[in-house]
Amino acid sequence: MLLKLAWRNIFRNKRRSLITISSIVFAVVFAVFMRSLQFGAYGNMLKNIVGSYMGYIQVHQQGFWAEKTLDNSFSNSDIDHLLELDEVSYLSQRIEGFALASKDDNSKPVAILGLDALQEKDNIHLDDKLVEGNYIGGNSNGILVAKGLKKIMSLNLGDSLVFLGQGYQGSIASGSYPINGFIDLKTPELNKRTVVMNLVDAQDFFGMSVMITTSVVGINGDDWQAAQKAVIQAVDTSQLEILSWEEMLPEIVQLIIVDKAGGTFVLLILYSIITFSLFGTVLMLTEERSFEYGVLTAIGMAKSKVVYVAILETILMAITGVLIGLVVVFPILIYFNVHPINLSGQMQEVVEKFGFEALIPTSLDPSIALTHASIIFIIVLIVNIYTIVRIKNLEPVKAMRR
Amino acid sequence: MIEVTNITKTYDDGKVQVHALRGVDVEITEGEFTAIVGPSGSGKTTLLNIIGGLDTPTHGEVTIGNTSIASLSENELIDFRLNHIGFVFQSYNLIPVLTAKENVEFLMLLQKKNDKERDERTTQLLKAVGLEDQINKKPNEMSGGQQQRVAVARALASKPDFVLADEPTANLDSKSTANLLDIMLKLNEEENTTFVFSTHDQRVIDRAKRVITVEDGKIISDHTK
Repeated sequence: MLLKLAWRNIFRNKRRSLITISSIVFAVVFAVFMRSLQFGAYGNMLKNIVGSYMGYIQVHQQGFWAEKTLDNSFSNSDIDHLLELDEVSYLSQRIEGFALASKDDNSKPVAILGLDALQEKDNIHLDDKLVEGNYIGGNSNGILVAKGLKKIMSLNLGDSLVFLGQGYQGSIASGSYPINGFIDLKTPELNKRTVVMNLVDAQDFFGMSVMITTSVVGINGDDWQAAQKAVIQAVDTSQLEILSWEEMLPEIVQLIIVDKAGGTFVLLILYSIITFSLFGTVLMLTEERSFEYGVLTAIGMAKSKVVYVAILETILMAITGVLIGLVVVFPILIYFNVHPINLSGQMQEVVEKFGFEALIPTSLDPSIALTHASIIFIIVLIVNIYTIVRIKNLEPVKAMRR
Repeated sequence: MIEVTNITKTYDDGKVQVHALRGVDVEITEGEFTAIVGPSGSGKTTLLNIIGGLDTPTHGEVTIGNTSIASLSENELIDFRLNHIGFVFQSYNLIPVLTAKENVEFLMLLQKKNDKERDERTTQLLKAVGLEDQINKKPNEMSGGQQQRVAVARALASKPDFVLADEPTANLDSKSTANLLDIMLKLNEEENTTFVFSTHDQRVIDRAKRVITVEDGKIISDHTK
């Protein structure tokens, strides 16, 4: 009956209830959409940079990340045992070096990424990034060139690139490699300078035999912090460094923190408006009903029950608003997840300058909706402190004096 | 039995003191049909509010049965009102979003009576006040007289020791007043329900069995017919 009473009370002032519910719907739609876009952008960024290229955890020779020379390399046999850890799904051995690439009159410094092309098909789906030509097989000495570099150096399939650089322990590295295909690494910075070749070819090119510079640690599940802990415990950390993506890309972490803070500020303004809107409703509702509350306590309804009915009314409005908001926002989120917002013009340039893809998909993480629904409920509870205090101090005779 | 002993009530706003009641003593026994009468501002509503535990006296004591009202905490007092006192207000004061049936059931729900008991008593009371065919109507769909009859049924729903009615006929026409008084007298006679009214309506005074007259905060006459 008390629930029925609270529910029917919502319809006593339909216009006010409609305005209140609408403001909650707007808050939910705006907050969830904005946060989903933000988190979707971060997710996409991480997916492109971390998830499909760097991995969440990397193992290097101590000092490699600070000084990326081939001399800071190690043997992959040093960490083979990591595959026995439950947290580790694979190890992707790589050589990351630099060389000068040339074709005819064009030359450009490039990053050479040596990896096990067949294994990376499974690990990071490198073959999916192929936009032209053929993937490189296990024994091929062909190379994959990032699409930005193709444009800069006017390259075509079948061309050969000649590389000249410094090899392991001061040796000269040189060689000519045919272009098998072109790949899109989804990150403009990587697209401008990356050349991928088989690990054995890279080891041969740099004169490194069985040495590698980097091992990407594939993890089981999403908990990369736990995986990093397990890996640290399993290796000789005086020889090897185990870095997370956050340690390798502090500028991205900073960017996310700053961007999140900006978003939080906007949400703070939004929620302040919603708080005052809800407080306005609660204030009017409590004042209008104080006569009725006086009658109810006079005839024997405990004040706690009166408070319960009063709060339940606003909670029901909040539930209605939140549910409608979620029903409205979810199709929008799904649409923009499938069809990400493609930034163009100046925005595209700015975003790409930071090395990110100019695509913003929405995140479908349910915790975003849950968080903002919870915030609305917390606001409802906070503004109802007024109702609680008002009813607690209510004197039936005074309240019933119109 | 209601015992009111040497009650005074003074309202003091810091500038002016208003003595609403000045040493009132009265006893009301079970089964009475009593009208407290007097002109506006005489103190009759204040007396009724103090008897009902809605207001506190400046001095004096109200005892209902063996319970001194002053000894009860706020929550105990609300609970006491729920279980021992029925209220009928001048403006009916029904819950506007509930139907006649739900309004009558409401107090029994607060008393945690079971569905069957609630249903039987509601039907019985609405029949007693002649509204058995109006049970699903909301207050705004009923006349003033009908609403006041629902209010009487609501006041009796919790099986109170007595019913306090503050100017119950003030907003009713003659026909509705006569009808309401018939119902209350019938309940008084057949179920021995105690009714105490504050009124200055001659129609009520004429049918009351005991009339207590209050003037300037004092009882100036008390006679039983």
